This record gives sequence, structure tokens and C-alpha cells, in this order.
Amino acid sequence: MGDIEIELQVNGEASRAAVPPRLTLADYLRERCGLTGTHLGCEHGVCGACSVLLDGEAVRACLVFAVQANGREVTTIEGLGGPDGDLSSVQAAFRDHHGLQCGFCTPGFVVSVTAFLRDNPDPTDQQIREGLSGNLCRCTGYQGIFAAVRAAAGESTTAVAVGGSGTDPGS
Amino acid sequence: MTTIQTGAARYTGTRVHRVEDARLLTGRGTFVDDVTRPGMLHACFVRSPFARARIGAIDASAALALPGVRAVFTAADLNPGVHEQWYTSMGKNVPDTPRPAMAEGEARFVGDPVALVVATDRYVAEDAVELVDVDYDPLPPVVDYATAQGGDTLVHEAYAGNVAGSLGGPPSDDLTAALDNAAHDVHLTIHQQAYAPVPMETRGLIAEWSGDELTVWTATQAPHEVRMFLARVLGIGEHQVRVIMRDTGGGFGEKVIPMREDMCIALAATKLPAPLKWIEDRRENLLAAGMSRHEHGDVRMGIDDEGRIVGAYIDHTQDIGAYPAPWPVGTAAAVGMLFPGPYRVPLAGFRTTSVFSNTSARIAYRGPWQFESLAREVLLDIAARRIGMDPIELRRRNLLQRDELPYANANGMPYSDVTPAETLDQALAMLDYDAFRREQAEARAAGRYLGVGTCTYVEPTTTGMSYYGTEGATIRIEPSGKINVYVAGGSTGNSLETAVVQLTADALGADIADVRTIQGDTAVTPFGAGTGGSRSGSMLAGAVRETASLLRAKLVAIAAHQLEASPDDIELTESHARVRGTPTASVSLARIADIAYFKPHKLPPGIDVGLEASARYRAESPTIWANASHVCTCEVDVTTGAVTIDRYIVSEDCGPMINPNVVEGQIAGGSVQGIGGALFEHLVYDEDGNPLATTFMDYLLPTATDVPVIEYGHIETPAPGPGGFKGVGEGGAIGAPPAVVNAVADALAPLGVEITRLPLTPAAIVDLIESAR
Amino acid sequence: MKPAPFDYHAPTTADEAVGLLAELGDTAKLIAGGQSLVPMLALRLAVFEHLVDLGRVGDLRGVEHVDGSVRIGAATTQATVERSADVAAAVPLLARATPLIGHFQIRNRGTVGGSLAHADPAAEYPAVALALDASFEILSPGGRRTVPAADFFDGLWSTALGDDELLAAVTFPVWTGRCGFAVQEFARRHGDFAIAGAALAVELGDDDRVRRCAIGLLGLGSTPERATAAEEALVGAGVDDVDAEEVGRLAVSALDAVPSDLHGSADYRRRVGAAMVTRAWRAASEEARRG
Repeated sequence: MGDIEIELQVNGEASRAAVPPRLTLADYLRERCGLTGTHLGCEHGVCGACSVLLDGEAVRACLVFAVQANGREVTTIEGLGGPDGDLSSVQAAFRDHHGLQCGFCTPGFVVSVTAFLRDNPDPTDQQIREGLSGNLCRCTGYQGIFAAVRAAAGESTTAVAVGGSGTDPGS
Repeated sequence: MTTIQTGAARYTGTRVHRVEDARLLTGRGTFVDDVTRPGMLHACFVRSPFARARIGAIDASAALALPGVRAVFTAADLNPGVHEQWYTSMGKNVPDTPRPAMAEGEARFVGDPVALVVATDRYVAEDAVELVDVDYDPLPPVVDYATAQGGDTLVHEAYAGNVAGSLGGPPSDDLTAALDNAAHDVHLTIHQQAYAPVPMETRGLIAEWSGDELTVWTATQAPHEVRMFLARVLGIGEHQVRVIMRDTGGGFGEKVIPMREDMCIALAATKLPAPLKWIEDRRENLLAAGMSRHEHGDVRMGIDDEGRIVGAYIDHTQDIGAYPAPWPVGTAAAVGMLFPGPYRVPLAGFRTTSVFSNTSARIAYRGPWQFESLAREVLLDIAARRIGMDPIELRRRNLLQRDELPYANANGMPYSDVTPAETLDQALAMLDYDAFRREQAEARAAGRYLGVGTCTYVEPTTTGMSYYGTEGATIRIEPSGKINVYVAGGSTGNSLETAVVQLTADALGADIADVRTIQGDTAVTPFGAGTGGSRSGSMLAGAVRETASLLRAKLVAIAAHQLEASPDDIELTESHARVRGTPTASVSLARIADIAYFKPHKLPPGIDVGLEASARYRAESPTIWANASHVCTCEVDVTTGAVTIDRYIVSEDCGPMINPNVVEGQIAGGSVQGIGGALFEHLVYDEDGNPLATTFMDYLLPTATDVPVIEYGHIETPAPGPGGFKGVGEGGAIGAPPAVVNAVADALAPLGVEITRLPLTPAAIVDLIESAR
Repeated sequence: MKPAPFDYHAPTTADEAVGLLAELGDTAKLIAGGQSLVPMLALRLAVFEHLVDLGRVGDLRGVEHVDGSVRIGAATTQATVERSADVAAAVPLLARATPLIGHFQIRNRGTVGGSLAHADPAAEYPAVALALDASFEILSPGGRRTVPAADFFDGLWSTALGDDELLAAVTFPVWTGRCGFAVQEFARRHGDFAIAGAALAVELGDDDRVRRCAIGLLGLGSTPERATAAEEALVGAGVDDVDAEEVGRLAVSALDAVPSDLHGSADYRRRVGAAMVTRAWRAASEEARRG
């Protein structure tokens, strides 16, 4: 069997291609659609860096074959912000709370958190942690990420710090 | 949390938004795997399935017959292309350990690259890898470094007894006498397991030839070292190589130098008509990107009746795998030199021995010498318990006080500008140590096991030796008044772009929105040693200061001429030059730039056209010392062995902070890596030398449910050098393992448990509890 | 880390899927959510010439009440089960096991049937199905047969399903009366396969005596296990007279194939398994007593 014709919606646009069955959705998005924000951190479904929304649900794009997404809607990190580059509330919360450092895992977190908060608008701290536990980050120790999700969920958190000159003279 | 607005008087020291975030949050970053070149081919390595095997014939005919496969290279094809192979950080003349591009003659660990397949895409390349037929003749491997020393089975024939080198020696007679005669002579062996940096982005590069120029896109902490190294390997001029990195997804030491696969790809690209890309997959990363931390120490400490340390000695042995990178012998000395830590230790000594094994290479990892803190701090807790003294009290009797500084430790390390007693006090106050001890006693009465552990360390940062001793910056105020600052780059999550923009905006009195930075392209940035050794903050601050001072003088001169004021009265602020005390008398940076570029007749005498400057900063001291105290509390479930960390406090003195968010982010990331090392991560091999943790299902990184809220305390003692800044990148990973181990040991102390071996898996904890019964 | 090539088939009915299996034989593998299969394909630990995708088979999805039981289509996602008020009310043990499976992104794809047919001995659903005596509806070209859970799991990652058979649905009995349910497991990290765990259901009589008790064990054998000795000891006992720790000890006493790996020896797993049974008993019996 050769390539299979597929047609799906990616970030609201129709995307058509003939693909080999073994092509993962993650590679389809990166290589065929040029949407390189979906990152490959493990390619075996653990790290969550490749998370995308498939018909609105957060999934690991390395564990879905592109042919399985035929006829479905995919939203990637590139499709979450506003058309003018405006940040979504989740993206803005990550920026405001130092929720990213190297930024490699970030798209997966932002996509997952977007779905998580839609389904759990008023999460407890423990629910947030469990919601984040399917995405790995090696830079932040999850501190800024947790704070960002807490804030994006509508409840501000107080940073714990003693001493230091970490003041905000400008605002 | 609030962040400051543009136009503020001073950005340094504040929590400004990061300039990197807009692209990274929207999926518009450029990591190496995001780069595509016309006609690009894809590489995949054939790796040894044996820990040690003689490599016989390699038959690639079936692989080459597969549609889409363009080439299969072996050592015979690539290794003769290596001209010179050495790291700038180490220099040419260290007695370096072997580092062939491709395994030649013998494969020396599971994962050793034996052949390289090049194909039109990675899928096909992986298909072809399965078709390359390698005739292996398995040999008995050296799996356990701890028993390898002096053995007859050798990893490298040239290294008798499998020893790459040893530094230091037995304890002096004085030290031996002091230990023998001490009221308390505590002697232990402490073991740490292999774990690794594991950045979320694996390694990778693209090598593209254009005429006699090589362009390399790569994931690196040090683009200029990649350029120098590859130029030497290929035997071409440094100026024929351009290395580009935009976003790199974490490094933590793994990407501080190019490694064997980088050599192979660069060499293979010379034989191909198209660009060649290699992106390491996660299994390769856990198999072959290297390991760290695998070591043990026989440690001995003498303590007198009053709880004063009279002497300390460590005999340290480290696993260096088959092909360590860089040369591991010299760096191991830091373990011995720093073993006395921030304590008054009148007599000390060390020996450190680097031993080969048929396993993955020892590589740099965030605080490569951190075993000194693990060994010392675990020893101190055990000593305190044996003496019957509170471990905090034992530390307080020995911690160096501010009025004792500067202080050379017994191995000659010259500490200055550190505050170990203050950070410990601050962290314990944040915890409320006495209240915790009361809570612990109540819990114990109820059959629950709570514990507290600490670690206090001093850390050399910003080491100013040779390669690392200088850093350059170029600043261009463009004709419009917008500013670009060029530095070497190598940012891997440590926010070097933001830091440089903050520093430059302040140095030039510019609105931060007017400043951008260009990093990570050797064609356009000044030479620099990249990020590593907790050096970037101080060195970049120095580079920006040196360069900006040239431009400041020019801006002031032009403005003074324009405003008919004395240069002494000109201040630069909010992208304007103003006459102090006369708010209406001002000229914008844009106007000054317009004059500098387009209206040379308006320049004061002696001032050149243009607004661009380059300068280099030379480190003002050989080392900048930083310090911190970590305090961890936990609860141990004595049935399952599960450890729950309750509170985690870090009091750090990294001097004044350029950006507290970045500082705290570094502390948090490092601490959680250390927690991972203490509790979860283990790059384990079986007795035949087969790695057992080559996926993220087996190599367990901490997740959001495994980590506590980290509480930060800051003490800001200025260091010598620009801004008084110290390094902060590595410390978290140094302080966390001992704090966690000590907390668990404290929780289990009523059961008679002593902990001297990592990692503390639940099963290991249950074993300890059962053995203590 | 890319899978080897395969041909892809996307049937739209269960019969069509079974027909493909019959035609393709053991060169074909069913893929449902793919959350266990695709990693094995990516690592090339498994290679199949054909994948038959159940993702477009509508008649394998859904939760319905049938004759006092709850029937769940095999291709129903774990996320659907997690959100189902029906399942939460009628089969609490299944509902409570669900959030322990992987992470929410995994449960969005992972299916009930996929988890059961994959038959990982450390997975939650097999232990729950075994404890509750669920029945498995199996479709083959020859028709439909029903297999009790006790006969379904026959070895490590091995089930009663033939090469040309497909798991169509699983039916869980509904426990009524003074019941309590608990799933307790211990994993290295949240979402990991458990080192050991227990799914426990108990029903008390009005006299506070145990009328029935079902205990499924996970991670403690080459298949999910049933703690028969403990169950038998409990039935008829007064709930206040039960020594919870003894229940745990008894539950692991007869196990003879406890695995040993990186994360713990067989002895360690047995100890953790006993503790999980003890904790599950305490929670479930307390709930039943209140009920």
C-alpha cells in the first residue's frame, strides 16, 4: 500500500496531502505543514512536548498517525494566540510567571493547559499538578509553570521570596 | 507578580518580561530540528548492541539497496578525516582520553556509533540502519567502574588498570594523626548513581557545505567552541566555519562541547552533495549522550569534643565511561579541593581517580564537582547523629563567618565574598527549624516519619581561566536610534537575551523596548566561550559594560555639543540625553544617531561618525564565589518507601540579581534536577553492560506532582567584577541531592537507618528500613 | 525513533474490522487509542505489516445499561468513562480507576478495550474487570462469544483473543446495596504504571457482615490477579472484626509470579501490594459502612 490521501483542518485551514501511513501527526505538522512549534522530545508518548488539540482534546501528536487525523481538526501552538501575534491568556500567564526557560517543552504545556483549564476552570492545586504531570520540563522545576496555571485559572498566587532586590521600580 | 514598564530608570535587578518569550510561546522559536535546508539529507547511526565487541566486517549492501538511502559511512570512511581533535576549554596539551569519531576496531559501550546511514528522510534512514550487517565478536566488558581499577580486562589497551588518571594523594601525616586522635573519627563510603543532564531537546546539527565554507546549525551552549572544534577536526580555517544557533532546548552541560556524533556528521557532510541533518532521538540521548555523577568517595572526618572539625579527607573514584568528554581527570580535582566546603577545616586532603568502564561517556553536568557537597553534607549529618548533636548545631560550630574572609581552605581554595552562615540562618528562619522539630516529634509519636535535611555549599563560578577568561560585546546603535547588542550566545533557557538587553538598556540609558540582541551566530557575533560554569551573568555584564562605556562617552559628547552643555551635566535615560536639572534640554537617542550617521558636520571635534563599538571584558578575578543553603523537609511512608517533599527552601547568595525571575528559575530548575537525582533518575546498566533506562518510561524525570513549591531567600553580597554579579546556573543541582538525602535520613533516623547510597528509590528505602531492623 | 512501514486500514464497522483480521491473519494488529502500541512501534519493539484502526468504528463506542449491568463499547475512550456520570454511579470501581491511567492526554486517546486487550498486568482496567467478574464480548468472523474475565487474561500481555478476533464490549455488573469501592496503587510517579495496586469492592449486610468482597491485584503477576484467599476469608466476617493488615497479607500470600524489575524486587512488590490492599479495604469498608 502506498501513500494515503488525507484532508484535515489545521488551525482552521484545510490541509491536504498524500502521506505514508507511518507518518506521525507530529511529523506531518512539522514537515508537511511547516508548523515546527510542535516539538519532539521523546517520540514515545511520555514527555508531552508534541501535544496538540485533536478535535479539541489534548493528545500526543507522536502517538497519532497523520492518517488517523484524516477528517479531523487539529490545533497546534501556532493556532492558539490571536492572529496578530497576541498571546492567549495561557500564553500570557506563562510569560508573566516565568513559566518557560528554554521554551522547548513550552508548546506542549501551553496546549495541554489550554485544554485542561477549559475542562477544569476552577482547579485545586493538586488538580493542576496532576494536569501538568503528563508534560516534562527540565528547566523550570515546574515552579513558574504551576504559578502560571494557577494565575490563568483566575486565582493569583503569591511568590515566596525573602530578601533580595527583586522589586519592581517601574510599576 | 508585576513586571516593569518600558522607560523605567533601571532594569537591572527587576523582573522584566523575557525578550525570548514571544516567539517561544507561540511556537515560532527556531530549534535546530526546525531548520530545513534545500536537498537536506538525514542521518541515523548504527550503534553497538554490545558493551564491548570487536568490530568485524560491515556489510551495508542491503541498506544501500533501499530506495532513499544515499550513503553508509564507517570508521574507515570518516576517521581518517580527523585532523586535530581537542577542546579549547582544556587546551591542546592535556593528556586527553581517546575520542574517535566512529568506533574503530572495537565497540566500547552499548550505543557506540559503528556506522552512519544517510537517507532522504529519517524514517528511511532508520529502516536502513536495521539492514546494516555488522559482524561483532563480543568481548567481556568492564561494566562496574568500582571494581575495574587494576583489572586485567581493559576498556582501552593504553590505560593499564583502566585508570585515566589520578590526582592528589594519601592523607598527610599531620592529617592522619589529627583524624586518628580526634574524639570522633567518622569514616564512610558514599555512592552516587549515574544520572544525566537530559535536556528536553536532544542533541542535533545540520552541516552544509557551500564551496569551501561550512555552515552548521546546532543545539549548543557554545557556538564558537563548535566552530573552533570542527575547524580543527576538518583541518580548515576557523573563518571557513559558521555556526548558528537560535534556540537551544536546554543543555545543562551536555551541549557545552561538541561530541563524537558532531564530528561524524561534519566529516560525513564533506562526502555528500547536500546538507546533512542529524537529530538525536531520545533513546540515543539516554544511550549515548553521556552520563554524570557516577562516583563514590571514601570520606573521613575528625571532630573534637566540642564539635569542631579537625580534619577531613576524601578518596574519590569516578566512572568516566568509555569516551569521556572533555578530559575528566583535571575537573575531578574540584571534588577534592572543595570537599571542606564552607567550614573551618584546618587539615584536609584528597585523592581522585578516574576509571574507565564500557558505558556511556562521562560528560559535564551542572556543577560537575557536586559530589563534594553530597559527600560532605551527608557525612556531617551522620557524624552529628553519631555524636549526638543536632546537625545544624554541628554546622554552626564550624561554618565560616564573614569576619574570617577571605579564607583559603586547607586545599588552597581562596574563598571570598561568601555568606554560608547567613544563608543557612535565613533558610532555617524561613522554615522555623524549632517549630519543625516540634512537629516532627509529634508526628513520630503518631507513627509518622518526618525529616529535615540541609546542605550548605560554596561554589566557584565564572572561572576566569584562558578560554573562559574574556567575553566580548558589540553594540550598534542603528541610525534610527534602535540598539542591537551582539554577544556570542549559547543561551539554553538561561535567558541570556533578556539579561543582555537589560544590562545594555541600563548601560546606555535606553528604553528597554529600544534594545534587542543578536546571539548565536559566529559570523556576526564576537568570540565568546558560551554558557557554562555559571559564567554568563558576570562575563556578559562585563562585556556590555566595556562596550557601552565607549558608546556612552560618544553619546554624551554629541549630546553635550548639541545641547551646548558640559558633558559632565549630561545624563542618559529613557533613550534621551538630558541636561541634569534642566528637563527641557534633551535630545533623543534617535536624534543623536541621526547626527552620528548622517550629519557629521554636527559632531563635536574629535568624534568619529557612527555609533558602533566593540570591546572585550577580561575577568577581574580567577573565580567568583557564590554560596547557598538548601533546606528540605519530607515525609517518608515506611511501608512503601515513598518520599513526599513538604517544603523546599533555598537561600542563595549570587550577589545582586540581574533579573530575580531568572535567578529563581535557575535555582528551581537546578534544585529539581537534584531532587530527580536523589529520588528518581538512574542511568542504570545490567551486569552485562546493557543500559536499562533508555526511554522516558524507565529514566524517570521528576514531574509537577513530584516537586514542592520552592521558597527562595536572597542574600546579595557583591562579588568583585561588574555589577557584583555572581554565577547561579549550577548551584541548585549541587545543593539539592544532599538536602534531600539528609531529610530522608533524618526521617528514618529513629529506625536506625543511615543513608550512604543513591538513588533513594522507594524500594531502596524499604531495603534500608528492613536492614536496620 | 520512527516506526517501520505498515499498511493502514480504517474500517467503519466492527464486522468490517473482523473481516480484515480474518483476511490479514497475524500480520495485522488492531490499533485503538494507540497509547501503548505506538510507542512500541516507534521503538521498533513491535512490527506489523498491517494496522487495522478501530478509530472510525462507531458501533464499538458508548456506555449503556443492559439488564442491570453496564456495557461499555471497547473503543470508548478512557476520557469518556472518566466523564460519565453513569459509570461513576453504576460502576464506581471503574470510575475511580480511570484517573489513575496515565495522564489526561493519554486518556483522551486510550480506550477501554485497548487497555483490556493489551492486558498489561500493571494496568488498572484489567484488575478492575477481573475483580468485578466483567464479561468480554468477542467478535470473530464466526460470530460473537462471551468470555468471563477469569478466562480472558491468560498470560503476560496475552488474552483469550484469537488473531481474527476483536474485543467488542465489556459488561460490568452493577453492585447495589451497602457497598464500598476503592482503588489504591503505588507508582513511582503520578501516571506511571503501578508497582502494585488493588481494586477492591465490598458489600456489607445490614448486620455489618461482609456479604461479598472482590479484590483485583495489579502489578503482582504476569496477569492481573484475584486475591481469592482474602476474599473468602472476608465473606461472613463482621466488618469491625477484620484486621485490615491481615487482609493485605492474605491477599498477596498465594502469589507465585510476582515480577521483579528496576523499580523493585518481587518481595518489595508483595509488600506494597499488601499495603495497597490494606488501604483499599479500609477505604472501601468505611464507605460501605456509611452506605
